[in-house]
Amino acid sequence: MSPPLSPDDRAALLAMASIASFGPKRLQAALALGPPARTWARLVARHVPTMRRCGLDRPVPVDVDPEQIRSRHTALGVDVIVPGDPDWPAALEEDPDPPVLLLTSAPLPTGPAVAVVGTRRCTGYGRAVAARLGAELAEAGVVVVSGLAAGIDAAAQRAAYDTGTAPVVGVIGSGPDVIYPRRNERLWRDLAAGGVLVGETPAGGQPLKWRFPARNRIIAALSDIVVVVESRTAGGSMHTVDAAQERARPVMAVPGPITSPASAGTNRLLAEGCAPVCDTDDVLVALGLAAAERFRCAVQLDPADAQLLDALGWEPSTVDEVVQRSGLGLAEVSRRLAELSVRGAVRDSGGWWERVAR
Amino acid sequence: MLATVASATLRGVEGLPVRVEVHVSNGLPSFSIVGLPDTACREARDRARAALLSSGLSWPQRKITVNLAPSGVRKVGAGLDLAVALGVLVADEQLPSTMLEGRAFVGELGLDGAVKPVPGLVPMAMAIGLDELVVPEAAVHEAALVGRHQVRGVGHIATLLDALLGRTPWPPLPPPPAIDAPAPAGDLADVRGQPSARLAAEVAAAGGHHLLLLGPPGSGKTMLAERLVGLLPELQRPQALEATIVHSAAGLPVPGQGLIVRPPLRAPHHSASAVALVGGGSGAVRPGEISLAHHGVLFLDELGEFPSHVLELLRQPLESGDVVVARASGSYRFPARFLLVAAMNPCPCGEALRPGACRCGDGARMRYVRRLSGPLLDRFDLRVIVNRPPPGLVLGGPGEETSSVVAERVRCARERALARGVTANGELRARKLDAAAPLRCDARRLLEKGLERGQLTARGVQRLRAVALTVADLAGREPPLTADDVATALALRAEPRLVEGVGA
Repeated sequence: MSPPLSPDDRAALLAMASIASFGPKRLQAALALGPPARTWARLVARHVPTMRRCGLDRPVPVDVDPEQIRSRHTALGVDVIVPGDPDWPAALEEDPDPPVLLLTSAPLPTGPAVAVVGTRRCTGYGRAVAARLGAELAEAGVVVVSGLAAGIDAAAQRAAYDTGTAPVVGVIGSGPDVIYPRRNERLWRDLAAGGVLVGETPAGGQPLKWRFPARNRIIAALSDIVVVVESRTAGGSMHTVDAAQERARPVMAVPGPITSPASAGTNRLLAEGCAPVCDTDDVLVALGLAAAERFRCAVQLDPADAQLLDALGWEPSTVDEVVQRSGLGLAEVSRRLAELSVRGAVRDSGGWWERVAR
Repeated sequence: MLATVASATLRGVEGLPVRVEVHVSNGLPSFSIVGLPDTACREARDRARAALLSSGLSWPQRKITVNLAPSGVRKVGAGLDLAVALGVLVADEQLPSTMLEGRAFVGELGLDGAVKPVPGLVPMAMAIGLDELVVPEAAVHEAALVGRHQVRGVGHIATLLDALLGRTPWPPLPPPPAIDAPAPAGDLADVRGQPSARLAAEVAAAGGHHLLLLGPPGSGKTMLAERLVGLLPELQRPQALEATIVHSAAGLPVPGQGLIVRPPLRAPHHSASAVALVGGGSGAVRPGEISLAHHGVLFLDELGEFPSHVLELLRQPLESGDVVVARASGSYRFPARFLLVAAMNPCPCGEALRPGACRCGDGARMRYVRRLSGPLLDRFDLRVIVNRPPPGLVLGGPGEETSSVVAERVRCARERALARGVTANGELRARKLDAAAPLRCDARRLLEKGLERGQLTARGVQRLRAVALTVADLAGREPPLTADDVATALALRAEPRLVEGVGA
């Protein structure tokens, strides 16, 4: 690794990273050319060989001012760290495709870290499992890493953050001042204040499509284990899995119904031999931690409720489906479902009923 | 010389008596028609002239002025042709004026002298106070519905003159045409394996609660809507007359037996314009689909495809039971008390938002949220998810109740509603509802939990109570409402939440 970079070099690197056509690969190429400040000066001067070596086919915009960008980050309270800095995470030292810089809202925590990831279009089952994993891992002192996306990511991070027992790391694909998705604004602000937001996109960076697979490699790199809660056979979570396998991070998956498209990817991972997560203890054991002592209170069910829950199963169903499977009348099914939802054993999602995992 | 002939025209869905005054005087041969005629009305001159000439009569080569009184109201259509032609004959002294006294004449003339039917004979006949009414042969059954007049049907102007002059007796009334009320599309027994959809149809019919069916194509939404009409009780005479008047005014066939007794079903396509739906039009102002569905069912398939500005127009009629169409020529009130049944696919992929299975992107779902949300969604007391039934039940399975069994329950429930002073529970509001639908303590607890958890709004609770009351009525239970009734009403009120919040 080259000697620590001067402030000018950092500003130049930040300036390059803030240009949308500079992806991680091109930034690496630019860094290999020598001090970034010199490279930046050549790019501004439209030095064609430098542009070609950086893989750029058009000149950099003239209105990018490294100093201004640096002061913008200072104003946002965002630290810019580069390889060689004392804060630079050890996990990235040997990375095959490391970021050239990281923007962090707070120093990255050390200690065991687990990524809890999954699809954005999840079922109530997936959301409940993600929340439970997030909360119980955090209670065991494990850093929960995820991508702040809708669905599984947000459920796990929200639950982990709410326990307040361990740091939560959100790896973001857009700039630190570009909240995405907007729906998770509250979680984003909570993590910016009381957790850690980390990313490689400078301020103002839009959530472009290519930035999310790139973000996923950082999630995998910063974690000791990647747990996939729900995933389709293709999608963002599978990018994280690929990145984890490239970096020799163990991947674990949560089993789901074989009929659920949202679990098709995780079930395939299990079939291919990755370790199943049937309980938070499975993850803790894989981390080498002792299984946490926990008490669970079971819901007291009368036999008819139990019959109804059996008929409901673990997949979202309509009232009609429950009526057909249980053999109970529509009125009775409706009443029991309404009562069970009051007790938190099932939930209604726009006419679809789901069991709540506990 | 001057002649006056009684006739009528149509104003919206109301008949308006018109006096046709014809003045024939010496001067250059001419014909002018005054008194706000529309184009069809103005053309009466050419039709009347040709009809008289081809019937062997003569057209005076003098100055003819026709006035349509009251002259401040727009006259529409060709129904005044017959009166104009007779007026010319009398004013030209080819016919004694006494022949026209005490009689009104409505009909369009063909160039050969044939007398043809015009739309709106029922309301026109209602507006005419004279004893005798001469109408086109083909529309005698419409005019006779009113029952106040001696109705004469004529097929040709020559026949009419013969009868007026006493040369031949009046032609016998023709047998009513064989236009039967449309047969119900099918029996409810065909709907299998969809208990909540079946129940929703029954509750909608019994309580007059508007129904929204959410489901993928091919799940039987249209089938259900068609069968719902068969569950409604037959119309009482005043309601039947109102429905018949609207149909007649719109120029739609009226059943040969007389009144429309089966509640009508109207299913406009989603390309329907605002005017087609609520009424209006340039020139003659016609009732729209919602008025044709008066006392029946308005079925809007693919609700999400209707332009939102068209749907918004439905809100006011849904509240007031009528629609006022204002035009430069005046404002027209059309009755529009209908049961709204709508069907839509809640998301483009057809998985009906099944959590975890829906393949639609956030953007596509948001578009559907926006279409669904808002005040119109609020008007639907019943919202059920209709899924394709299991294949085993489609091809066999246990038999379900037939329409006649369910219709009988619906009739009993409506009788209970009548005892509360409304035709259906859907009309119960505020204090009346509180009095009619007290809650047992378990039902109250269920509602309180729903309110606490934010699943229900205060307005939602009121609508839910009305539905629960209908559920109890159908089951033959007396209030207070039980937890079963409330829970059933809750199950029939899916809240389409399209984007899952994550508590973040």
